[in-house]
Amino acid sequence: MTAAKERADLTWQEKREERFKRWLSPGVSFESAAAEKLYRERVTRFIKAIKLEEPDRVPVITPVQYFPAVYAGSSLKKVMYDYDELKRTWLKFLRDFDGDSFIPPSLVFPGKVLDMLDYKIQKWPGHGLPDNAPSQQFIEGEYMPPEEYDALISDPADYLQRYFLPRSAGALEPFRKMSPLTPFVAIPVGYIIQFADPAIRGAYETIFAAAQEALKWAAAVGEAGQAALSAGFSNVWGGMSQAPFDMVGDFLRGTRGIMMDMFRRPDKLHEAMARLVPVAVSYGVDSANASECPIVFIPLHKGTGGFMSNPQFEEFYWPTLREVMLGLVNEGLVPMPFAEGNYQPRLDAIKDIPRGSTIWFFEHMDMAEARKKLGHLCIAGNVPVSLMCTGRPEEVKERCRRLIEICAPGGGYILTAGAYMDIGNPDNLHAMLSAAKEYGRYGGK
Amino acid sequence: MEGIPNWDKMTWQEKREERFKRWLNPPDVKFVSEEAEKLYKQRVTRLMKAIKLEEPDRVPVMLPTGNSPAYWGGSSFRELMYDYKKGHEIWKKFMVAFGDMDIFSGPAFIPCGQIAEVVRSRQQALPGLGLPDDAYMNQFVEGEYMTADEYDRYMMDPTDYNLRVMMPRTTPLFESFSKLPPFSAIMGNFWVMALADPDIRRTFETIMSLSDTQMEWTLAGMEINQYIRERGYPSLWGGGIMAGAPFDHFADALRGTRGIVLDMFRRPKKLHEAMERQLQWTIETNIKNFPMSASPICVMPLHKGDDTFMSDRQFEEFYWPTLRGLFLAMIDEGLVPLPFAEGRYNNRLKQIADTPKSGVVWWFDQTDMKAAKRIIGDVCCIAGNVPASLMLTGTPAQVKETCRRLIADCAPGGGFIMAGGAHIDADRIDNLKAMMDAAKEYGVYKKK
Repeated sequence: MTAAKERADLTWQEKREERFKRWLSPGVSFESAAAEKLYRERVTRFIKAIKLEEPDRVPVITPVQYFPAVYAGSSLKKVMYDYDELKRTWLKFLRDFDGDSFIPPSLVFPGKVLDMLDYKIQKWPGHGLPDNAPSQQFIEGEYMPPEEYDALISDPADYLQRYFLPRSAGALEPFRKMSPLTPFVAIPVGYIIQFADPAIRGAYETIFAAAQEALKWAAAVGEAGQAALSAGFSNVWGGMSQAPFDMVGDFLRGTRGIMMDMFRRPDKLHEAMARLVPVAVSYGVDSANASECPIVFIPLHKGTGGFMSNPQFEEFYWPTLREVMLGLVNEGLVPMPFAEGNYQPRLDAIKDIPRGSTIWFFEHMDMAEARKKLGHLCIAGNVPVSLMCTGRPEEVKERCRRLIEICAPGGGYILTAGAYMDIGNPDNLHAMLSAAKEYGRYGGK
Repeated sequence: MEGIPNWDKMTWQEKREERFKRWLNPPDVKFVSEEAEKLYKQRVTRLMKAIKLEEPDRVPVMLPTGNSPAYWGGSSFRELMYDYKKGHEIWKKFMVAFGDMDIFSGPAFIPCGQIAEVVRSRQQALPGLGLPDDAYMNQFVEGEYMTADEYDRYMMDPTDYNLRVMMPRTTPLFESFSKLPPFSAIMGNFWVMALADPDIRRTFETIMSLSDTQMEWTLAGMEINQYIRERGYPSLWGGGIMAGAPFDHFADALRGTRGIVLDMFRRPKKLHEAMERQLQWTIETNIKNFPMSASPICVMPLHKGDDTFMSDRQFEEFYWPTLRGLFLAMIDEGLVPLPFAEGRYNNRLKQIADTPKSGVVWWFDQTDMKAAKRIIGDVCCIAGNVPASLMLTGTPAQVKETCRRLIADCAPGGGFIMAGGAHIDADRIDNLKAMMDAAKEYGVYKKK
């Protein structure tokens, strides 16, 4: 109790220092003293960049997500169903590239689990996508009709369990028959009795079977992560979270729906997003707590330039995203919003975040302007993924050189691409890594 | 509403008439004889007229039988927790031995022992499970299960709170639920993996292993009530207990007496906000479109609003507004709220009259019935209140005399149901019969 109280009294910087300490000393046995030394150097490089200090050199996030599968002679489809192969390919990639980070295959969802659940909101190779497709594809839809906003607002967990989950997966369909727990009173007889319904029981039995399968996958992902750690590479996605606007826009209302809602039912949309702030924060915190790395990756979708005006961004998108980010910062975590698309028009709006607390990861962006306007925050990006996929290594290297020249001085910069490369020339990745080493050295004060 | 066109356009009285019709002519009941059917209809009519503040043929009676048939039959609460069949046999015999009653139903609140042993809710003590083996009732165990700083969390996401915080706290079986991730399943399919946790899985396996037993228990309970209705005895528990006062929800189940009393002073706004939300949730999930049920009556035990727990001003500010809101929502659905005012409501009488005429039936425990008749008798049917102490320790002659006085005070003009102040859990069939006899002897209305 006292410890908890003391912890609550800490400033966010103090909480973060604790997390940084844990990141630097993750309690693994390194495969060699050299690996341990390199690990500390790599993590220190990221920590200094986050804190706007000058590390020994510019750190790099190797911009790959599904690439290791193809690189190591396999395919996304194969590794989704064969977890040993998943582990093998990711570790092969790790060994072959002398990077600063390890991107674990935690978003390479296990195919068997998706099959068992009859998961409906995603396509994957062999399941809605060609066998050789290099990535998975989310299926957006209007999974929540507008008249259900009130149910979501009034009781989010109830809504998600009884309305959204049954629509998202065939095996969870029986959840719609569960009775609400909203005004729950002490005696749990009513809760227990619903499990006499064979459909509900069947749904849970399927989930348990799927969960066992998912455990095998998670074990492989975990082993790959451990092996990477022990070889001296840290994960740079400790946790994940989302912007409340995207939670509603991607998963519930769809693009068309949410765009209409900004005009037709702005109050409901605001209320729903407010409800999802604590959900997004606790998701980010819980997922990051399970990792040694305090960075929380937040892929952003519908706030990009072209999707909405600046006034709309400032009214609808930014306030709750900012709350989520501050919620994470306050837990000592480092939000890393990944601004897919073009955030150039948003630079003024997104400044309002405490100094040294966040990594803004940009895709299309004039990085010189970003450096100028976000001088108080670490920025990351943004070699065009088109160049990564189709360019020559010299072009990549030259692009990196220019980026380093613009963004690196004074610290607070992480070199990476504007998005992940799923297929392409591995030499382009090598080129990026060597550019950091060649051009990214700081003087050392 | 199923089978009834234009439900939404009906007045509450019209909706109630539909529910009364259903109560009077239950389509799911096949009466064993014409005599049983005739008696059933007489009994329901008697109750309906009293509710509507009209004069029936005689004063209707809700006998405080409770679980007394168990003791009459030589059994006990604890024994029946493990043998519902025996209980149902006893209840059937009791019904025959007793004869005429205006309402009757099967054992209530006796939970299945095997399940109670596994569930072991910290909020309920039972004979042999936290109470002596020979205890004759269950006991709610109050506590500060929700801390003062959790109001917001509860209001923001009540199901999440109930599932991941409250259930693990109150019930050891559900302890593993504290490890469940929030239902942010919309973030992908990670949620599924959490259920690989062996403790969570064990909890669900236990629930599944119990659910058939619970279903058997519940179906048997429905069966005995059906059996009783087929023999001409209406059921009072038609709607079941759907809800209590919002204040009591927080006071009993979440914050405890001490907690709620502090909250009235320290965080009145939070408490108000939470009660208001509780009211809305209850209306949305439990009251709106409430199906046609065996009877339209909803018995609602009330706890912390009694004279001694709070001042008139506190009752006015904290207890009454949301309770009244609940009544109005039930009435609007054609239901008949029957609050059971445990304790004493003398000071409250002037405060609770503000409901639609004949909408609510007030059942009093120790309230002055003469005053009740005077103050709210024109607005509400009142029920009560032969003291449980008298029923348990008095002689039939004393019971009969008390009933006679009650009838004299409360029956004139209709709108009175004779009842006990509380149920009795002992074999006093003699006193129960004395009550019934008194109603027949003194409670007959003259035809006009």
